Amino acid sequence: MDEKTRQDLLKLFEGKLNQAMRLYLETCSRCGVCTEACHVYASMPQAKYIAAYRAEIVRRIYKKYFKSQGRFWPSLGQSKDLTEMALEELYEAAYSCTGCRRCMVYCPFGIDTQMIMSIAKLLLVGAHAEPEILTMLADTSIAKGESLEIFREGFLAGIKRLEAEVVAKWQSQAGDTVIPVDKQGADLLYVALAGAHSIIPAAAVFNAARENWTLSFFEAVNFGAFVGDPTRTKLILERIVGEAKRLGVKEVCICECGTAFRVMKQLSGPQPFQVSSITQVHARYIREGRIKLDPSKNPEPLTYHDPCQIARNAGVIDEPRYILQHLASDYRELAPEPIYNWCCGGGGGLVALGEETLDFRMKSSRVKAEQVRKTGAKTLCTACENCHTQLSDLNQHYQLGLEVKFLSSMVAEALVP
Amino acid sequence: METIYYLVLVPMVYGAFVVFGLGSVLRLAALWRRPPQPSTLRIHARRAPGWLGALADSFLLPTVRRHNPLLWVFLMIFHVCLLLLILGHLELFKRFEVLQVIEHQVFLGRGLVGLALTLALLFFLFRRFVSPNRDLSVPEDYYLLILLLLTVLFGSQMDWARSWYGYGELTVEDYRAYLMSLVLLKPQLPSAVTGSGHSFMLVLHVFFANLFLIFFPFSKIMHAFLALPVNKLRRG
Ligand code: HEM
Ligand code: SF4
Ligand code: SF4
Repeated sequence: MDEKTRQDLLKLFEGKLNQAMRLYLETCSRCGVCTEACHVYASMPQAKYIAAYRAEIVRRIYKKYFKSQGRFWPSLGQSKDLTEMALEELYEAAYSCTGCRRCMVYCPFGIDTQMIMSIAKLLLVGAHAEPEILTMLADTSIAKGESLEIFREGFLAGIKRLEAEVVAKWQSQAGDTVIPVDKQGADLLYVALAGAHSIIPAAAVFNAARENWTLSFFEAVNFGAFVGDPTRTKLILERIVGEAKRLGVKEVCICECGTAFRVMKQLSGPQPFQVSSITQVHARYIREGRIKLDPSKNPEPLTYHDPCQIARNAGVIDEPRYILQHLASDYRELAPEPIYNWCCGGGGGLVALGEETLDFRMKSSRVKAEQVRKTGAKTLCTACENCHTQLSDLNQHYQLGLEVKFLSSMVAEALVP
Repeated sequence: METIYYLVLVPMVYGAFVVFGLGSVLRLAALWRRPPQPSTLRIHARRAPGWLGALADSFLLPTVRRHNPLLWVFLMIFHVCLLLLILGHLELFKRFEVLQVIEHQVFLGRGLVGLALTLALLFFLFRRFVSPNRDLSVPEDYYLLILLLLTVLFGSQMDWARSWYGYGELTVEDYRAYLMSLVLLKPQLPSAVTGSGHSFMLVLHVFFANLFLIFFPFSKIMHAFLALPVNKLRRG
């Protein structure tokens, strides 16, 4: 790596060093308490998969360039030069971490390994060594925000086709406009994913609850966040913020996508609207008596996987359980406490990388499969697209014999007219 | 020999305290000059309020208790004993009546504190020889533990000699004369401090302690100051 590149990368590194990051980088005592916390290590016990070991890969470069010991006594903390080889190590550390932050629950200091990995990811972006596909997907999202007019017609035509499906299945609940789009003065802006499964059931529930809602032009998923690029993350986020402001909505409701929800909730800053997950909105409808569900639809044992970015990392924990009380007659907890739930193993962009990561995803999530199997559940539901894909893959790979479902779809299926 | 004793017991002590104090303050200032994280870093479903929860996390180490109970026992012993030792050292400067509510000879715990610390340090050291902790450890981790072990051993020796074997040449009064003279910036070395059979232990103890203090601001032991604010982030 030439000196100029190195200096540019170190500038990116420096930009990441806010108070919290410094605290995380300075405090680790390498006590190893986080060892058992990571599902990757628990499934494949190799030192390189320990949370602190991953963090140390970044920390070694930090020591080299941002601490005096790197200059005066580099061997003390095994400081490391930023080289091509170091980039490879950073890649392996960052893209074998799903950013679930389970290790943070174990650490006596609460060190956030996901945040430390965000340095690794940013350096990879800076060196053009990141998984290209993620950047490409992020750029597509951004382009869509910039030239909405080009996408508009196609989008509206697609929605018309979906409306027909909603009407066919939920005849009685369909309001005047089945899937409103671009509706000025709506109360709630629903940000979905590209895919009927994310729109049709949601529309049925909104209409059943007589919500004054509108569907966003944009898909919720934030590939910028997966690839760890703050600029792209922000641009993707701002498309939705802009739309919400333009329509004057009071609430932005994010579909079942963990990263999208956490990014929107925690990174959008103070806004004139509130941010909710669709799970929260559904729980509210039930509480307010706006929708009624039929629990006899799901008599089989059922369990719920808390998506890390929605539960542990954003606090939506009671709502899905409240919904499930009204939805299932034999609900079983996966983990003794929701913050200890194992990650599905698909976060941090791994599922978005598809086949390329499949083998790793299956091997690194053995403990997840076992956790699910132990409940004896026949249905496994969750509230995140990524988790759903990964859990479906696990279901197949480990022959768990489950039905993997979206919580929101189950709500729609159980609607009582 | 006299000169070496003098250098370790007087200028190096001053130097060590200056490096420790200034180093810590400057390092902390550098940290807090950075912009804060704009978004929350909280872990949810931890219902205790922010600062209170962070205090409990920092001083009782509940996560270690849950996930590594054996380590927790040694950590608690170690850190509590460390606190007792700091109090003990204060009493080497002068008598504090508040500390005498339970009447005792100087050094609380009759030498057991040093013994407990030694055992805890040996435990910390040996657990690092076993994988996977071994793969996580860097030289700093070993150096720190060895340095502390040496400091504690030589310190304890003097304490044990006095309280267990009735060694009477180096007395608490001698230490007080020496240490208070340092505080008052009129350094004096009473002849008992440099001339008795155990003086070499004192010199080694102070030497390693000085090294530890100098090392402190640049090492992971800064966790002593950082544990609370970093835990606060998790509590939101
Ligand atoms: C004067 C203050 C302190 C000193 C000198 C000190 C020193 C040490 C030392 C020497 C170790 C052993 C390191 C090792 O095993 O390699 C340690 C470990 C540890 N200390 Fe402290 N400590 C102090 C304060 C604190 C505080 C306030 C906390 C609160 C969270 C804390 C939490 C820990 C933890 C969690 C470990 C863990 C693990 C380990 O490395 O084995 N310490 N400390
Ligand atoms: S538990 Fe925390 S302090 Fe201990 S090694 Fe892991 S990250 Fe470091
Ligand atoms: S964030 Fe999750 S995947 Fe990453 S190191 Fe921690 S436990 Fe492992």
